[in-house]
Amino acid sequence: MNSRRQTLRSKSKEQGLPGSETGTPGLTGSLDEDIRNIRIALGGSPDLKVRKIQAGKEYPLQAAAVHISGLADATAVNEFVIGSLLSDPSGQQPDDTGSPEPFPAWLIQRVLELGSAEVTVEWNDLLLAVLSGDTAVLADGYLSAVICDTRGGEARSVEESSSQMVVRGPKDGFVESVATNISLIRRRIKSPKLRLEYTKIGTETQTHVAMLYMKEIAGEDLVDEARRRLNKISIDEVLESGFIEELIQDKTFTPFPTIYNSERPDVAAGNLLEGRVVIIVDGTPFVLILPAVFTQFFQSAEDYSQRFDIAILMRIVRYVSFIVLLLGPSVYIALTTYHYEMIPTTLLINLLSQRETVPFPAFVEALLMEGAFEILREAGVRMPRVIGQTVSVVGALILGSAVVEAGIITPIMVIVIALTGIASFAIPAYNMAIAGRIIRFAFLLLGAMFGFYGITLGLILLVAHMNSLRSFGIPYLSPFVPLSVKGQKDTILRLPLWLMGRGKTAAQLREEQPEYKRVTTGHEAGLAPLIRDNAAAGRSEEKVEFHEEE
Amino acid sequence: MGKVKIGLLQFFSITLLFELGTSLVVNLGMASGRDAWLSILIGCMAGLLMFWGYAYLYRKHPEMPFTAYARKLLGPVIGTPVALMYIILYMNLSGRGLRDGSTMLAMATMHNTPLFILSMLMILSSSYVLHKGTEVLTRTSLVFTMIVLMIGLFSMVLLMLSGSINLLQLLPVLGDGLWPVIDSVVRQNYMFPFGEMVVFTMLMPYLSDMRKGPWVIAAAMLASALLLSATIALNISVLGADIAERSPLPLMPTISKISISDFIQRVDIFVVMVLIIGVFFKMSVFFTAALIGISELFNLPYRRMLYPCSLIILFTSMLDARSFTEHLDEGARLLYTVYPVFMIVIPVILIIITAVRSYFSAPRPG
Repeated sequence: MNSRRQTLRSKSKEQGLPGSETGTPGLTGSLDEDIRNIRIALGGSPDLKVRKIQAGKEYPLQAAAVHISGLADATAVNEFVIGSLLSDPSGQQPDDTGSPEPFPAWLIQRVLELGSAEVTVEWNDLLLAVLSGDTAVLADGYLSAVICDTRGGEARSVEESSSQMVVRGPKDGFVESVATNISLIRRRIKSPKLRLEYTKIGTETQTHVAMLYMKEIAGEDLVDEARRRLNKISIDEVLESGFIEELIQDKTFTPFPTIYNSERPDVAAGNLLEGRVVIIVDGTPFVLILPAVFTQFFQSAEDYSQRFDIAILMRIVRYVSFIVLLLGPSVYIALTTYHYEMIPTTLLINLLSQRETVPFPAFVEALLMEGAFEILREAGVRMPRVIGQTVSVVGALILGSAVVEAGIITPIMVIVIALTGIASFAIPAYNMAIAGRIIRFAFLLLGAMFGFYGITLGLILLVAHMNSLRSFGIPYLSPFVPLSVKGQKDTILRLPLWLMGRGKTAAQLREEQPEYKRVTTGHEAGLAPLIRDNAAAGRSEEKVEFHEEE
Repeated sequence: MGKVKIGLLQFFSITLLFELGTSLVVNLGMASGRDAWLSILIGCMAGLLMFWGYAYLYRKHPEMPFTAYARKLLGPVIGTPVALMYIILYMNLSGRGLRDGSTMLAMATMHNTPLFILSMLMILSSSYVLHKGTEVLTRTSLVFTMIVLMIGLFSMVLLMLSGSINLLQLLPVLGDGLWPVIDSVVRQNYMFPFGEMVVFTMLMPYLSDMRKGPWVIAAAMLASALLLSATIALNISVLGADIAERSPLPLMPTISKISISDFIQRVDIFVVMVLIIGVFFKMSVFFTAALIGISELFNLPYRRMLYPCSLIILFTSMLDARSFTEHLDEGARLLYTVYPVFMIVIPVILIIITAVRSYFSAPRPG
């Protein structure tokens, strides 16, 4: 990590930071000149605040605190930087030669009442720190500056995530600040195995990107590969985790998402414990979780809060709705156009009498309705909330009854399309639902042109396509293809926790089995302490102690 | 060769789908009347014997496809034409499979769609899958094996529930003596579908486990023989030997007997789905064997010849016969005359050469 930071630094030196194109050599040692250089570098921006101070009693020195208002936490700047500089608790001590101790060292060691402060001599680091919300303290006659961590300013507080709701489960969601997000995860995993690596991506935006993983649980290869891909990124701007997702995913042309994203810390923590890597990008509440396989997009955080049998039922409903989403309209068209012998006779008569008044073939009908539905949905998503009601009312009227009364669409088609539309909302992951919506149109075309022949071939192609996908080396359809019986514990099925041993290899599981029993069947009197005694393996002992310390 | 390794389960499923392929739907072994199911089992035994020979060749040359060791054993002068002939054979078989499939499809449901369009869609899909690689083909087969087996189970249960199965139709066993069964085996069943296993000599270098691999494939052959035999017995017990014999696709009328409380009826679309899946995988296996052969023989990248080959297969399938009857007739004759050369004679020669060579070279180091 350290060497990586250095390479990143040298890279940013070569490319230059915003405003440094003037070729400013660095700190000059003259306070006035340095301050002028900073002002020039930032284009004389009015939100750059420079506060000049006379610091030190015995050896007074001209100093200046530089920060950008709004980015820095005003309280921290006022009280802990400027306040402590002015109050001067302990004077500068002369060293052996009689000259006063260096100003930056004095500042850091005796004066600043801040958790984090460091010395820098790099001009670009200084600028970046100020632009990130830190306060830089410069002193006359010194070629170095002290960077005080005063990052803050206005930010959204932790609220319930709006994109992934649960009935039962934790209600906190990630926010835009990377530090807060990490704290939300750390609060859930109080293990020293949780590792955090920082990097900055984006030559202009210099966005903080944090990578989290559990050492020993996450595969070494996976972590290396994720790190390698993150380092390879060369881009000007990173405004959302989607930018990173697009740049690090396996390069294939596919509608399917191969990296999971979540707004929920409990999901992120759960995935970390299953050996996945979590990437947090500053400025967005959506963290990336990788690698992601197909089944993951059908899991919800709530599956683990509910009883396992109920969770299995919910999951089956999700898979079924994905199939309905993909095949609903196309199967209906294929049935009515090519294979009407399969429809029970009474229903067929009913259908045909409905179709008699409708001028379009079923395919055009379906396309019209699907189009209308997509428009409504898109309008509904982007609408200001106040007028959102209008869209749903108009939409319901148009889709529900007017089209039928006008004789454009048959009522059965309305049912089919509505069912498909609802099914798309039953899939927990929005990006997977979108993939399904796109592929649905391909199936619509195949079903209309070739009936079940087209649909079957389409299914073969779809499965083959999904089989060719990989997410960080993991086959997308695993653990179904290649089939792994052990892997089935948490796919369509969600076995009870004591049977599951989440995401561990068989060896680890065997080793830690006593612990799992302890956790899950602790209510069986007498069992828990017995097993704890038996599991005198060093690791579990340590864990117990660790908890007690907490 | 052999950079990609394919797991045993995938091999099992691709073998199963390959064997079931078209044979599940057509009236296989019907020359032996109501004992057709028996001739399938006997045919499978002959097929297993042949496969034992192919497996022997594979064990001796685990890293090479058939075309490679044919050239190695026969020398470049004889070996190269032989390898080339095998490639042509595979393309021809692929084309014939395609013709079978699309014609049966046209007979079953797509009455008004031109044959060419049906074939084109099939070969395009196949090209796409093979473009993704042989591994993707075998993995996909795993999913569709599940689907086919589920459809089979489902239809079986429904047939039982609707009370159409009359096992008495199967009696008397061997009513006409053993001869019709033997005749059917010799004329058809040892070759089709079991002799076609020769194509796996091209795929076996991809096996991830050299020792267990051939056993798994043999097990898949046996499983498919049991399934085929059961299906044919089912056809006969539902339709009676007479109708089953006359029907070109006996599984269709069998399944259409399903009728449960006037709601679930005419589920023969499932048969069509099985047909499509089977034809797709059968054709794709021949196609991929031809591609592996070409890339090995001419040292070309696997994907470069994909689209030219797909065109050749498409046109072979369209041009090989003027009508389906002619196509079937041709097939019956090929089965009797040409295929044994490729599936028995040449492999046997290679086996003898290998055996003699290893007999003479083995004692030397010791």
